[in-house]
This record gives sequence, structure tokens and C-alpha cells, in this order.
Amino acid sequence: MIHIPTLAPEVVFHIGQLPVTNTMVNVWLAMVIFLVIGIIIKAKLSFRPGKFQNFFEYILELLMGYFDQVTGDRKKTMRFMPIVGSVFFFILLSNWLGLLPGTGSIKIGHAFLLRPANSDLNLTVVMALVAVISSHLFGLASVGIFTHLNKFIQIGTFIKSLRKGPVAILTAIIELGVGLIEIISEMAKVLSLSLRLFGNIFAGEVLISVISGLVSVFVPAPFMMLELLVGLIQASVFTMLTLVYMTVLSTAPHEEH
Amino acid sequence: MNFIDVALASEAATEEATLTSEEGAAPAGGPLANLGINGTLLVAQFINFALVGAIVWFLILKPLTSKMAERQKMIDDSIDNAKKIQENLARSEKEYQSRIDQAKVDANKIMEKTTLAAAAATEEAKVLARKEIEQLVLQARKSIVNEKDIMSAELKKETANFIILALEKVIGEKFDSTKDKAFIEDILQKLK
Repeated sequence: MIHIPTLAPEVVFHIGQLPVTNTMVNVWLAMVIFLVIGIIIKAKLSFRPGKFQNFFEYILELLMGYFDQVTGDRKKTMRFMPIVGSVFFFILLSNWLGLLPGTGSIKIGHAFLLRPANSDLNLTVVMALVAVISSHLFGLASVGIFTHLNKFIQIGTFIKSLRKGPVAILTAIIELGVGLIEIISEMAKVLSLSLRLFGNIFAGEVLISVISGLVSVFVPAPFMMLELLVGLIQASVFTMLTLVYMTVLSTAPHEEH
Repeated sequence: MNFIDVALASEAATEEATLTSEEGAAPAGGPLANLGINGTLLVAQFINFALVGAIVWFLILKPLTSKMAERQKMIDDSIDNAKKIQENLARSEKEYQSRIDQAKVDANKIMEKTTLAAAAATEEAKVLARKEIEQLVLQARKSIVNEKDIMSAELKKETANFIILALEKVIGEKFDSTKDKAFIEDILQKLK
């Protein structure tokens, strides 16, 4: 019997009132892996890196190069690094953990123990919310409260236009409308970020489940290779978009002459 | 056969979703619940994500980036130092060359001065030597004259003595001062 995962994650067990889903188990697994890597890195951190440290430094250097291309400045990259770096590595690892043997096969009761963390919309929504909200916080801190809010609620521009004549007033009214559209687009950012990641990973999981159900050996391998690539691409897309949002919102708007 | 299984699995998934929502993971009602969105799970996943973020940042990314920045700073400092050293070296070489050139000029001047001084000293020495030679010649001449005078005086004295001795032999008498005086007076009287 082929098992097709449901949209909602399956509850494996409860801790008190809290339901523990199989995606949460996957997140905890990623957390443990990060914790082990982190402890090893902290313990072996040296000015002259060993192979382990060198490998991570190489990846980080490569990643920061791409980030610099978006932000245009290493200082900005380093400011955004706590969020975007964590998001990238977490999405990447949890996506790849979904390909581990046991995912979609080990059962506890009626539920499967493991499922890719990003095939849970709760997690992708949380990450998208964190990305968008933090981009606004960076924006507030960088350009100031009024300048930042004026990007969405352009009352300041409207008041200034009252002294400039009817054309300016008309432009300001249009800009007010544009500001409203901007607010909607901010909500759309959350939706697009979360649904894209969720959709891709969930679709991959369904695909692998179906293919594995049809032919259990050899045939799923190319699809799993594809999923490796999808995992990397989705992690990159989510991270780069987050970085773009942060960069755009922390940049002061051009003044009208 | 297998495709029938897929279709059956799809139906089973729908049933399972309904069952799961009834269990409490995603309460039924509304599109969000159908997508699996659940307030409790949302908070739980937020906490999970925050924990993962903290672990990744504080245990992995922050130590690595700070170490990389530290290393980069050291490399930059080293490059700056190397540049400064190179500039100092170039400046020192330039200064060394200018000093060498100056030393050459000074050496040439000193050589010229030395040559001139040596020529002057040679000339002076020559003059001095000439003077000394002349003086020596003069002294030699004087001493020769003196020697000559002494010799002639001695010769006269010896001649006188010889004459006296001869006279004594002729006369057969020893002359002393009184006899000598008497003899001289006698001669003088004879001469008168």
C-alpha cells in the first residue's frame, strides 16, 4: 500500500498537551546535528583551521560571496547573517534530512516518525514571518521609523504635496494607493516564501513516496538526486529572497527632486 | 495495478488528513486548517526555529565568521605592514644610494684635496730639504774651515815646537820660560 503524505504533519506523540509531529522530530534531528557540529567547531576553532573547520569556512566564504552580490556590502551581509545564514543552513539540512532512509517508512503507531521539516506549512510560515518581520526591523533600524513607514503609508508625501499644487496632490494620492499595494505585497511575501518552500518540499516528498511505492529500488534514486538539488535550490531561493527583502527595506528611498 | 494503489493511497491520505485533524494536530474548519496550519504547532515550530537559529548562529556561524574576520584582519595588517616595509626599503635604498653618491662626491673632493695637499707637502718638503742641504753644506764648509784653522794652528804650534826642538838640539840647551825670555831679549838686542 502506497502512503501519500497529508498536507498536515502527522502527530507522533504528545508531550503534555503539545502534539509532537513528525516534522518536529525532523527539526529536532537537525537541531542535534547542528549542536554536534557547533560543539566540534567551538572546541576545535583555531586560527589555523583543520580540515573540519576549513570545510565549513569554505562553504561560508562561498555563501558570503553570493550574499555580498545581493547586499553589495560585506558589513550589511554580516548584519543579516544571523537570520539568513541560519535560515539557509537549516532549510538545506532539513531538506536533505528528508531523504534519509527511514523518512516515510519508520512508523510509530499509525504515524510515520520522520518527514521533511519543510513539508510542514507551520514551519515555513514561521520562517517566512521571521524573514519578513526581521526585514522590517532592519529597515526601521537603518532608515528610521518615519522614512520606513512612509514607504507604505505615504501621508508625509501627501501633506507635502498640498503646497505644490493639484498635480502633486494627484501624484500623492496615487502614491498612497501604491503604499497600500506595498502593504499587500508584504503579506504576499510571507505567502509566497512559505508556500513555495512548502510546495516544493511537499511535492518532492509525495513524488518520492509514490515512486518508492511503485518501484522500490533503483528508480527512486534519480528522483532523490533531484530532491538533493531541489533542497539546495529552495534553501538558496528562500535565503536570497530574504536577503533581498532585508537589503531593499534597509535602503533609504530616493528623494524626489 | 500500481497506479490503482496510488489512487487508493490518495484517498487514504484524504481520510488520514481528516483523522489527523480530528486528533487535534490541525483542527478542522477553514482553509488554514486544511493546509495543516495550527496555532499550537505554529508556536512550537517558532520555538524550534528560534532554537535552531540560536544554535547555528552562536555555535557555528558566529565563531567561524569572527575567526575568519580575525584572520582577514591579520592578513590585511600583514599586507599593510609588508607595504610599509617595502616603502621603507625603497626609501632606505634611495637614501643609501643618495648617501653613496654623496660619499663618492665627498671622496672625490677629499682625493682632490689630498692630491693637492700632497703636492704642496712634497713641494714644501723639497724646499725644506733643499734648505737643510744648504744649511748642512754651509755647516760642513764652516767645520772644514774650522778644521783647517785648527789644523793650521796646530801645524804652526807643531812647527814652532819642532823649531824649538831643533834649536835646542843646535844650541844644546834646554829652553825654559826664563831662558826663552832671555834668549828672546838677547836676539832683540842683537837685532837692535
